[in-house]
Amino acid sequence: MDLLKSIVAAASGLRVQSGRMKVVSENLANADSTADKPGADPYRRKVPTFKGQLDRELGVKTVELGRVRTDTAPFRTRIDPGHPAADLNGEVKMPNVNSLIETMDMREAQRSYEANLNVISSARRMISRTIEILRA
Amino acid sequence: MAIGGLPLFDALKARMSWHHARQKVLAENVSNADTPGFRPLDVKPPARAQSGLQMARTDATHMTIGGASPNDPTKAQRRFETTPSGNGVNLEDEMLKVAQNNQDYQLAASLYQKSMGLMKIAIGRGR
Repeated sequence: MDLLKSIVAAASGLRVQSGRMKVVSENLANADSTADKPGADPYRRKVPTFKGQLDRELGVKTVELGRVRTDTAPFRTRIDPGHPAADLNGEVKMPNVNSLIETMDMREAQRSYEANLNVISSARRMISRTIEILRA
Repeated sequence: MAIGGLPLFDALKARMSWHHARQKVLAENVSNADTPGFRPLDVKPPARAQSGLQMARTDATHMTIGGASPNDPTKAQRRFETTPSGNGVNLEDEMLKVAQNNQDYQLAASLYQKSMGLMKIAIGRGR
């Protein structure tokens, strides 16, 4: 039944968006995670990737989270000579997390999540309307 | 005579399964709204059965029985938004289509139900 397939496709979208939300929250939580000794790298921002794929059993184009990659952007630096990870110049490497970008990413995930929810409730309404034909 | 043999029921059945198929395609579009390189798809509307009665038209802009349709849904609308990753899904557009699909389905289902009611009256059971 195609309506159930549409629910399967939308559910895969929900799963992917919540996985993306997880990565975003990891990034935000680690926005200040520095290294514990000089020269070591701090937390590196993670980037979720999306992969479309075909569910051969049902014939539905679902989506799934691909490998979580790391952002190659350079680290920020901060002058903090007293920090344990400070180098000879007193600079501490900070994670390359930009909270503004993460917030935008979060909003986008939220928007896509809501869109998928909308599709599911629409498909459910169609199913219950079909059952109502029998009831009348 | 099976109920499936009646032209009205057949037409409604075809309409409803078309809405099912479209709902599936729209769900795929929405779930792949972030997949790089994904192009959204849509289902072509079923060909309208040519009815015998047509209004005479002396001008191409006159209304027909089907009404004037400024934006013909049969024409594939051009996408105006493609992300740098090559994804062409526009969520607002898809939401609009989902809502429209759902409403049209409700309409077809109601018509089906009414026709069933007519049949029941014919066999002397319904009211």
